[in-house]
Amino acid sequence: MAQAQSPTSFGGTIAQLSFVGVLVGLWYAASHVWHVPAILLPEPTGVFMRVVSLLRNASFLSPLSITMHEVGVAFAFSTIAGIFVSFVVTRSQWLIDVFEPLFTSINAIPAILFFPLFALLFGLDVGSKIALGITISFFPIVLNTIAGFQNVDPVHMKCARSMGASNWHMFRYVLFPSAVPILLSGLRMGLTLAFLSVLGGETIASFSGLGHEIAESSQAMDSELMYAWIIIVICVSMSLNFILTVLDDRSGPAT
Amino acid sequence: MNDIKTAIEVCGVHHGFGAKGSNLHVKALLETSLSVAKGELLSLIGPSGCGKSTLLNIMGGLVSPTGGEVRVDGKTINGPMPQSIAFVFQENALFPWSTILENIDVGMIFQGVSKSERLERAHQSLKAVGLTDFANHYPGQLSGGMRQRAALARALSLETDIILMDEPFGALDEQTRMILGEDLSILLARTGKTIIFVTHSLGEAVFLSDRVAVFSARPGTIKHVIEVQEPHPRTQAFVTSDKFARLRNELYGLLHDEIRKTLSADFRLPSAAADGGRANVAAHS
Amino acid sequence: MSPSMRRWSITFARLAVILSLFVAWEIAARYFVDPMFLSPPSKVIGSLGKLFARPGLTNALLLLLGELLISFVCSILIGLPIAVAISASKVTRRNMLPIVLLLYGTPQITILPIVMLLAGVGTASKITFGITHGVFPVILTVVASLRDLKDIHKQSAYSMGANSWQRFRYVLLPHMLPALLTSLRLAMIASLLGVLLAELYSSSSGVGFFTRQFTDTFDSTSLFGLVLVTAAIAIFFNELLHGLQSRLTAYRR
Repeated sequence: MAQAQSPTSFGGTIAQLSFVGVLVGLWYAASHVWHVPAILLPEPTGVFMRVVSLLRNASFLSPLSITMHEVGVAFAFSTIAGIFVSFVVTRSQWLIDVFEPLFTSINAIPAILFFPLFALLFGLDVGSKIALGITISFFPIVLNTIAGFQNVDPVHMKCARSMGASNWHMFRYVLFPSAVPILLSGLRMGLTLAFLSVLGGETIASFSGLGHEIAESSQAMDSELMYAWIIIVICVSMSLNFILTVLDDRSGPAT
Repeated sequence: MNDIKTAIEVCGVHHGFGAKGSNLHVKALLETSLSVAKGELLSLIGPSGCGKSTLLNIMGGLVSPTGGEVRVDGKTINGPMPQSIAFVFQENALFPWSTILENIDVGMIFQGVSKSERLERAHQSLKAVGLTDFANHYPGQLSGGMRQRAALARALSLETDIILMDEPFGALDEQTRMILGEDLSILLARTGKTIIFVTHSLGEAVFLSDRVAVFSARPGTIKHVIEVQEPHPRTQAFVTSDKFARLRNELYGLLHDEIRKTLSADFRLPSAAADGGRANVAAHS
Repeated sequence: MSPSMRRWSITFARLAVILSLFVAWEIAARYFVDPMFLSPPSKVIGSLGKLFARPGLTNALLLLLGELLISFVCSILIGLPIAVAISASKVTRRNMLPIVLLLYGTPQITILPIVMLLAGVGTASKITFGITHGVFPVILTVVASLRDLKDIHKQSAYSMGANSWQRFRYVLLPHMLPALLTSLRLAMIASLLGVLLAELYSSSSGVGFFTRQFTDTFDSTSLFGLVLVTAAIAIFFNELLHGLQSRLTAYRR
C-alpha cells in the first residue's frame, strides 16, 4: 500500500487543488442553487467565517494542544518501546518466528474495539486516548522495525565481519543504517495512526480535544461550527502529513 | 630474517552445510590442500557450486571448516584476520548509505586506526585506484566498474599482505573487466601482495594469475593446477599471444567435462530442492 | 535443531506467550485492579454463555457481521474499477492518484458526524463509513501492483498476439492476484474499523449500545466478553483471508 504513496508531483498538486476547488464549488451550488437544508450542509461562507473566528480568538489552541499532547505521548511511547522490542526480537530468527506472526494477528484486530475498555480503565480524560494511540501505533512500528532490522544485505554483514567489526560496529555501521528506510516508514505510519486513533477516541467519548469539539458541535446541532472544526482538523492533519513528507524526502541519501 | 615463503597453507580442509548425518547435510568441499606462496596471484576456477567460494571464505576465516585447518604465516586461523587478510566481494559490498570515502574509512575504524592516519591511507588508496575525485560520491552514483575500484581501494587501505577476492568483476561487462584486469595487474606488480581470487572467466584467470587452480564438479576439490609463467604487469600483448590462447584452451578442456557433470546432476535436483525450499520458507514465515 | 523440532518449539513458545498474557491479565484482575474496571479472563470466558443469553446481543453481533460483509464487498466492487481506471495510463495515474491520496490522508473520523447527519444513525451510515475505510486499501494496493507490472510481460503477450481480454486474463490478472488478495485482507480490517467506529459513535443500538451500557454500569465482565468475541471475529476473518492468500499465491513463495 505504501508504495503507491510517492511524493506528490507538481501536476499532482494541481490535480489536488482543482479537486478541492470542484468540491467547494459543488458545496456552494448545493447551498445556493439546490437549497440543501443548512442543518445538513451549512452555507460555505458562513462556515468560513466561523473558521476565521475560531482562529482569530485562538479558541482552537486549547483543544489542539490537548490532542497534540495525547498524540505526542502515545507516539513517543510506541516508538521507544517499539524499537526496543524489535531489537530484542530480531536477535534470533527463532524469536522472530515466534513473535512476528503474533504481532501481525494482533495488528489485524481493530484496536478501536478496546476503546470502551480503556475508557473504563483510564477514564474519559487524556489517559484513554493515549492508551488507544499506543495500542494502534505500537504494532505497525514494531512490524516495520523488525522488517527493517531484517533488511540487511548478508554481503554487507560478511564484509564488515571480514574487516573485523565488533558487535557494536556491526550495529552502528551496518544493521542500523540498513534498517533506517523501513524504520522511518514505520514511524511515519505510527504517527499518522496515533493521530487518527486519538481523534477517534475523542470523537467517540471525551471531554476535550479536537475530536470532542466536532462531536459536541454535532450533538448541539450547530452544523456551521461542526464543519468549521472539521476543516481545522483536516488542515492540522494535512500539515502533519506535509511535515512528514518533507522529513521523508530529506532523510537518507540514495539507499 | 623471515624465511617463511608460504603466505597461506590449506591443510586437508573439507566442508559441509547442515547437520552431519541428517539428510539435509550437503557436502560443499571435499578434502583440499593447497599452499600459496608470498606475493603469488592464484585464481580459483570451476563450475558453479563446486566450493571455490566456500574455500575462499574458509581461507579468510569467515567460515570455519568441518575439518582440516588453514594456516596464515604459520598460524592456524579461527575467525577473520583483518590485520593480515582483506576481502573484495562482488559488486554490492559497498554500503549504499555511505560515501566512497566513508566506505573506505569504516574498515579502518573497525581496526581502531587513528583519524589522521585513516584520512591519509584512504586518500592514498583512492589515488591508487584513480578515484580521488569521487571520494564524496555515493556508491549509487558510480558505475559498476568504479564501485569495484572503490571496493579494491577499501581492501588496499587496510594494508594487509593478503587480499582475497570473490568474483570481484563478476557483475561487470566484458570490456570493463578487461580494463580493470589490466589495472589490477599493474597495481599488484607494484605492491607485491598475495592475491587469491575466484572467477568464472577463463581469460581473466589466465591473464591475472601466476597459478590457476581448477575445481572438479560439486562437491569439488582442486583437480589441477596450471602455471602461467609470465611476468607482471601483463598487457594486451599477452592476451593476443599464442601462449595465452594455449593456456586458455587447456583450461577450457579441463573445465568442460566438469561443467557437463554439474549440468546433468542438476536434472536430478528439482524434487530435493523443492522440499528443502519449502521447509526453509515454513521456518521463515 | 531439526526443522520439525524447530517448528514445534515455535508453536509451543507462541502458545506460551499467549497463555502468559492471559495469566498476567488474570493476576492483575484478581489482585491489583478493582473488578469494576478489570474482570479476570476466567470469569469473562465463564460468563460468555450468559452474555449471549442477553436479549438482542446475538442480533447486534449478527447485524455487525452483516454490515461488515456488505461494506467489505462494496469496498471491493467500488475500489477495483477505480484502481483499474487510475492504472489505465500514466496520465490518469498522475492526475487521479493524488486525489485518492488526498482523501485517504484526511482523517475520516472527522466526517463521521456528517455521515450520520446524511445517512441517519442506522445501518446505512455504518455501512457507508465501513466503505469509506475499506475502499482505499483496495485502490492503493491494486494501483501499486499494476504499476509494477513489467513491460516485458505486456510486450511478450503482445508479441504472441494476445487481444485485450487475453492480456487481462493471462497477464494483468495473474500479476495483480497477490496484491488483490492482500487488498482483500486490508479491506476487511479497514471496513471492520469503519463499521466499529460508527457503531461506537452512535450508541443507540447494536454493539455500540451494549458497549455503552456495559461501560456505564461498570459491567467489565460483559464488556471484556463482548470485546473478546469481536476480536475473535476480526482474527477469524484475517486468518481466513491470509490462508486463502498463501494458498493461491504458493508459487511465489
